[in-house]
Amino acid sequence: MSIIFQTKSGELPIDAQNDSETVLFDGLGSGLTLPYECATGTCGTCRARVMSGDVFDVWPDAPGAQRLKRDRGDILMCQTRARGNCVIRVPALVTQAEEGAPRRFIGRIDELSKLTSDVIQFDVVLNEKATFSAGQFMVINAPGVSGGRAYSMVNYEQQTGRLTFLIKRKPGGVFSDWLFKSAGKDAEISLFGPLGKAIFQPEADGDLICITGGSGIAGIMSILEHAIRAKHFPGYSGQLYFGARTLADTFYVDKLAALTEMSSGGLKVTLALSHEAAPSSTHPASELIRLDEGFVHEVAARVLSENSVGLGENAVGFVAGPPPMVDAAIRVLLGQGKLPPDRIRYDKFS
Amino acid sequence: MSWIKVCKTTDVPENSLKKIWVAGGIPVLIAHYNGGYRAMPPVCPHMEEPLEESGVIAGCVLTCTKHLWAWDLATLELQGETERPLKSYDVKVDGDDLMAFIEQELLYEFEDEDDMDDDDFFKS
Ligand SMILES: Cc1cc2nc3c(=O)[nH]c(=O)nc-3n(C[C@H](O)[C@H](O)[C@H](O)COP(=O)(O)OP(=O)(O)OC[C@H]3O[C@@H](n4cnc5c(N)ncnc54)[C@H](O)[C@@H]3O)c2cc1C
Ligand code: FES
Ligand code: FES
Repeated sequence: MSIIFQTKSGELPIDAQNDSETVLFDGLGSGLTLPYECATGTCGTCRARVMSGDVFDVWPDAPGAQRLKRDRGDILMCQTRARGNCVIRVPALVTQAEEGAPRRFIGRIDELSKLTSDVIQFDVVLNEKATFSAGQFMVINAPGVSGGRAYSMVNYEQQTGRLTFLIKRKPGGVFSDWLFKSAGKDAEISLFGPLGKAIFQPEADGDLICITGGSGIAGIMSILEHAIRAKHFPGYSGQLYFGARTLADTFYVDKLAALTEMSSGGLKVTLALSHEAAPSSTHPASELIRLDEGFVHEVAARVLSENSVGLGENAVGFVAGPPPMVDAAIRVLLGQGKLPPDRIRYDKFS
Repeated sequence: MSWIKVCKTTDVPENSLKKIWVAGGIPVLIAHYNGGYRAMPPVCPHMEEPLEESGVIAGCVLTCTKHLWAWDLATLELQGETERPLKSYDVKVDGDDLMAFIEQELLYEFEDEDDMDDDDFFKS
């Protein structure tokens, strides 16, 4: 069947196999740069209008669908599948990407480990190798969990058959309950990706400043790992502000200390504790990791205001985590960090 | 209507935004940036976020933190990947007062006619 996307760049037709993928994934899989952010029904960015054809909505109650004009045929492309030929109008500039189109993978969960009382890390062994950029994510479908969930890759390899993910338990969350309770060990899952534009580009990017909280560290770990391998530091500086409630909620301290050591003084890591006084100025487990008190964006704002040197010309800000944290951190990067908006890349874990 | 007093210039500190209801029940957002003032509708032209809360002014640039659409407040130039212009009312400073020229409320077309209705636009 064929899907014709009417876009601000003209008409772009694609061939779609069947109704097993959403219209968004059909289009992205064909290399079209359709607009999206969460790819999982929460943000509303993939809004489009069905001009003709038979489609169905896989999650009518999606939070991102609340402001759609249903009577006019408006849909979320990430929650809509086509039953046959259709024409879909997308209010955005869309181009055909040359490489790196996302696709579907099958994977098996391996090496589950609990990092804190509510954070789990696991690997997925893929049926074939994947290529991705540091900072990207996959949308994962697990047996018995309706709908996909976006999770950022923690590791970085140019091409790899093994992806590492990090998940923070959401109370009552369907996927996180599935993982924490019934131990997804060896479970077979399906993944679509890589997705996401908040990526590290070693040739173009200068100083790096990352602000994150909780599971938002996932994609940032991948970015820092790539930066170390690309020998980005100490020629450029790196700053990571990582927020947690208490010292007991912090994790990856050993990995962050190792990255700091490999950065030859280029990378500085600060853990911000929001609900507990910092017992010392550095982490009890490593003197390379500084401790500070307050919400992570406040700690970053303080350091940026005190630092007279400032960020270099091609500096890039990365922000990932819960939406209110992301908004507050973006404010700090624009204000105290003096970054222009087009040098800020973010993922909202909505 | 015509030139209307909106507020005192000191009511809106530099690098800040303030929403003010002017006579006639029209909400106006005042932006005080490095170099001047702008008066505009109080919502982001992207997805209607209240700019008083989602907006940040740094230098001359107003950015909406929701999806990083941004405009140069001095020239109204669109920054980066921003896709729609800001609408704005003319402003002038008269002594301590900030005045705006308001004939009718400026609105973005989110509701009735939106960009997806423009058939010509989508012709390839
Ligand atoms: C770009 C991005 C990257 C992310 N990266 C990470 C990460 O690295 N680590 C991490 O812990 N979290 C990450 N998240 C958040 C993650 O995707 C989940 O929202 C979170 O784990 C909670 O999932 P849950 O199933 O436990 O909660 P639930 O409340 O059950 O579900 C949460 C989300 O799942 C989707 N969903 C729920 N029900 C349905 C349905 N019936 N049909 C379709 N979709 C449905 C929606 O997107 C919803 O917001 C990321 C989110 C985004 C957008
Ligand atoms: S991309 Fe579809 S709702 Fe976020
Ligand atoms: S709502 Fe302001 S940029 Fe999207």
